[in-house]
Amino acid sequence: MLVFIARRLFVSIWVFLASTVVVFFLSTRIRDPLADARQLPDGAREAAMAEISERMGLDDPVLVRYFNWLADVVTGDLGVDRQGQSVSAALEGAFTATLQLITGATVLAIVIGIAVGVISALRQYTALDQTVTFVAFVCFSLPMFWVGTLLKQFLALDFNDWLADPTISPLFVGGISLIVGLACGSLVVGDRRSRLTAFGSATAAMAVLLLVLSATEWFADPGLGPIVIALSAVGGALGFTTLVTGLEWQPPLKAALVTAGIGVVAALALGPVLEDPELLTVVGLALLTVAISGAVGWFLGGELYRRTAVPASILTGVFTGAVIFTDRMLQSFADYSESVGGRPISTIGAETPNYSGTFWESGLDSVGHLALPTLALVLISLASYTRYTRASMLEVMNQDYVRTGRAKGLSERAVVTRHVLRNGLIPITTLVAYDIGTIVGGAVLTEEVFGWSAMGSLLFQGIEQGDPMPIMAFFLVAGGAIVVFNMVADIVYAFLDPRIRLS
Amino acid sequence: MTRNAESGAPENELNAAHGMSVVARSQSQLVRRRFFRHRGALAGMVLFGLVVILAVTSIGAGPIPGWWDKDPTTTGSVVGEGRPTLSVLPGFLGGGGVHLGEHPFGQDNVGRDYFALTMRGAQVSLLIAVIVGVVATLVGTVVGALAGYFRGWTESVLMRITDVVIAVPTLLLAGLIGVIVAGRGVVLFAFFLGLCMWTQIARLVRGEVLSLREKEYVEAARSVGTSARRIIFKHILPNTVGIIIVSATLTIATAVLTESALSFLNLGVRPPDTSLGRLITDYRTALSVRPWLFYWPGAFIIAIALSVNFIGDGLRDAFDPRQTRVRD
Amino acid sequence: MSLTPPINTPKAPTPPVEAAVTEAAEEVHAAHTLADARPPSDEEILTVENLTVEFPTDDGAVQAVRGLSYTLRAREVLGIVGESGSGKSVSSMAIMGLLPKSARVRGSIRYRGQELLTLRPKEQRALRGRKIAMIFQDPMTSLNPVRSVGDQLAEAVLAHHLVPRRKALARAAEMLNLVGIPQAERRLRAYPHEFSGGMRQRVMIAMAIINNPDVIIADEPTTALDVTVQAQILEKLLEVKDTVNAAILMITHDLGVIAGMAHRTLVMYAGKPVEVAATDDVFYEPRMPYTAGLLGSIPALDGERDERLRPIAGSPPSLIRLPAGCPFSPRCPLTTEVCRTDEPELAEVGEGHRAACHHSERLAEAEDATAFFRTPEEGR
Repeated sequence: MLVFIARRLFVSIWVFLASTVVVFFLSTRIRDPLADARQLPDGAREAAMAEISERMGLDDPVLVRYFNWLADVVTGDLGVDRQGQSVSAALEGAFTATLQLITGATVLAIVIGIAVGVISALRQYTALDQTVTFVAFVCFSLPMFWVGTLLKQFLALDFNDWLADPTISPLFVGGISLIVGLACGSLVVGDRRSRLTAFGSATAAMAVLLLVLSATEWFADPGLGPIVIALSAVGGALGFTTLVTGLEWQPPLKAALVTAGIGVVAALALGPVLEDPELLTVVGLALLTVAISGAVGWFLGGELYRRTAVPASILTGVFTGAVIFTDRMLQSFADYSESVGGRPISTIGAETPNYSGTFWESGLDSVGHLALPTLALVLISLASYTRYTRASMLEVMNQDYVRTGRAKGLSERAVVTRHVLRNGLIPITTLVAYDIGTIVGGAVLTEEVFGWSAMGSLLFQGIEQGDPMPIMAFFLVAGGAIVVFNMVADIVYAFLDPRIRLS
Repeated sequence: MTRNAESGAPENELNAAHGMSVVARSQSQLVRRRFFRHRGALAGMVLFGLVVILAVTSIGAGPIPGWWDKDPTTTGSVVGEGRPTLSVLPGFLGGGGVHLGEHPFGQDNVGRDYFALTMRGAQVSLLIAVIVGVVATLVGTVVGALAGYFRGWTESVLMRITDVVIAVPTLLLAGLIGVIVAGRGVVLFAFFLGLCMWTQIARLVRGEVLSLREKEYVEAARSVGTSARRIIFKHILPNTVGIIIVSATLTIATAVLTESALSFLNLGVRPPDTSLGRLITDYRTALSVRPWLFYWPGAFIIAIALSVNFIGDGLRDAFDPRQTRVRD
Repeated sequence: MSLTPPINTPKAPTPPVEAAVTEAAEEVHAAHTLADARPPSDEEILTVENLTVEFPTDDGAVQAVRGLSYTLRAREVLGIVGESGSGKSVSSMAIMGLLPKSARVRGSIRYRGQELLTLRPKEQRALRGRKIAMIFQDPMTSLNPVRSVGDQLAEAVLAHHLVPRRKALARAAEMLNLVGIPQAERRLRAYPHEFSGGMRQRVMIAMAIINNPDVIIADEPTTALDVTVQAQILEKLLEVKDTVNAAILMITHDLGVIAGMAHRTLVMYAGKPVEVAATDDVFYEPRMPYTAGLLGSIPALDGERDERLRPIAGSPPSLIRLPAGCPFSPRCPLTTEVCRTDEPELAEVGEGHRAACHHSERLAEAEDATAFFRTPEEGR
């Protein structure tokens, strides 16, 4: 295994070096970097041209320029651009922004995409599956920049306008309730009657909820309150226990419920601490949540149920924490919305300039700026994860060992989680890793549409000025990510599949 | 999307029983039959056909005249704020009747007919996509087949080259080349774009060839002294035709989106040429004033990419039904 | 033991289950030394009556099984023989409840008097792998490649018993030992690809007997194996059958497999049973031309050198549009007019011997029933 990793690393380094050569040579060919200087009046022209030539090494052969660049990079210096600004400094800011932009979107797209793909495969050929397939194809065929612009125009502007008078029209209530009802109805397994019941009750519940929210103008000053938090926590406990092992087992259920209870009590007790916490406090609380719920699962599960009680409990704990977190953030919404002139969803840039507020308010500021680009990115990358997952699951479901699992008398849940999911997700893991590698390079479009000054601006600056330095900086990150994640994908695959791991 | 009953074969026994009734059908007949039963693929075929016919016949191509009387480049007076005159709602439903009108897709700010302009853009986008598909498929197939068949050094070198191309983000590689060849026409641009997009196919073909070359009939051909070229072209490639066709199709869909993205970033098609992506860039600021200038090219991009993706899905199902069918 | 309650209901765990497992294991060891071969009793544990299975397809319904009846007694080995497509595997999947949802199953399958086809999925699951276990044809693909063998064996125990994992693993090691895998403790951590085909099939046998089932369905258990390994596996199967006191339903296309081990044999053709009898009777006094044809197609070791094989001409009929009359009539050398119009029913032709043929008495009169089929030379 170690030899395999070492060899893979060696190959990757050479591949990456070779590709830097290609990109460097191409980027010296795109445009004459002296074009602007040539336009200058006679006196200034020579000096300006000489200065730029000197700075960019234009008098040296390309090969020499490449090796100079390479020698600098090895020491951590990315050189200066045509104006003499440090590229390293520019890259730092740009990279932070891009990372901020893509992290949430990528995680969301992967989680939702895989979940939808799994469900779609398990319900193959149902209306749900066909709807998911169709929607995935549409998303897959959307031009990112087009959707992004439309989202900006309609979602952001219209949503902000609507917030001024947050009542929901009956047509909207009906439409959303109907969609939610259809989704619930098609998720339920069973005969026609139980499906219709699910459809009916979900539609009605959603409609009532929306009408209440509309009547109380909840969206103007949202929040969950202790009762909703407690209900969600208990619901989470029941849901995650069902997911992990089924409700007929008492110890895991008890562990999850106890965790939920602790969470609710903690939410009330921690009130003052959560008023305006530091980021570190929040992270610490999250870790503490995992530790406590894990311990609850461990002790209440006992020797027989530990394997199911611990995950059920931890999932419940994290979920409850997330609900409390959301509640806090929602409570700050009214203040934040007021401070940005009632337009919380932003269409341009990464943050409101010169904005300062509590932890929750600056959190909301980031959310407001990330909402649209994230939505656009998720819409587009969701589709491919869903399709990958569905295909992979279907392939595994055809395997003989799945039949063996059923013949052993395993429950359907055990067959799916221990055989189908476990095997089906191995190829998905590698595909996801390959995909993550290409995201930095692909985010250029999103950045351009939503006016983020990030990695893409380095690229465009370089192309506009015929300057290889910013382009190479962009490539070091974007191409480096591809090479690294390709390598990671191979290694992870070898690690997950014992047939390769042990040979 | 319509396959249901046929999927229920639990094991060899039933397959054998079922096979008996279809034994007379050849492989290509089976593929065709499965393809035409795929509702999504059929709809995709129809939609794609319509777009192509509309784009080619309306304003004509090269010397061939089209049936639409307006030219994409002629400016003129802007009529009625340049709103689209296309109407599809019949009069008795309260619409303006079914007619194209003077400017079905409206006019831009200098009075150019936007229908003609969109058709021109669609032609260019389709042309680029097809060229990319052909170039990428050819290069990918050759590289993959050589690497898979000869193994050893050939394989190492070819696959490392593939890795190098993969390491460069498509938008960066194609963007740089797009700037370098700017102004030398869309065909050259498309050709180079194709040279950026063959890596997927090469990897797929290589994998397939690797497994095929171990098959008994290839061994047999080798043992009687058949030349490598003959083995590759007569024995191996015909059996990879399925995945080649499928990935060529999907490459075309990706190419439409990549081309439009590059043009949007000013790295692809440039004036005086136009394409669907170019149109969106040119008129993106018009969204709040003349939204139709933004909608039409986008709708055509989606129509082309969606229909080609559906065709690809249908082809995949037709060539490899196992992948998407569950027996239980 | 009672059969309906899911064995691992948390409210009422079976009395100290760990004890139960070890107890069972001790019982196994005791039984092993007691007797080598236990004769079948008269107790009927599995009764199949008039079973039909249909699969709807675009070309019409495939009638995979068209009225199958038999009984399996405790500790009995019943062989089911037929070509691929004869319905033998489909019928066994019907017993396990593992047919795809699209399958239409009618008739009756009773385990110790309890109807299986109307059981709720949960009750059916409690039976699967606990009372009725199955061994599949291809040991290469029947084990999950990414999970260790011990894990997969323990899973079978944990699906039916509320015991800690390490007990289940101990039981798994014990079973591996029993099926003749050396260093069982260590091999628990190994993955399927580290085993040879024969060893994997032993693992499958271990998995089948790990819960002391009453019935083991072995679906072509040796077909995918080397000839030298086949005999070992069959022997092992018989051995463990005696240790756990199970009956075996032996499904195969290979008469040679049946000959050495089945008490009774049922021959299937085109989804129907065409001959049932004690195995010796099937071999020495076949009363259905298809059985005779099968016998004529296997080379006899003690046969004379110039003796030719006598294959059955033609191929099995389509199960979608079955011709009227006896489905074997197009391939049968004894076919007469009545065969083409009337499908014969199973009828008593001797003691405990039933056959479905209009001309079974002609086979009875013949000295060598296989001689009705022609060798390739005679056919010319």
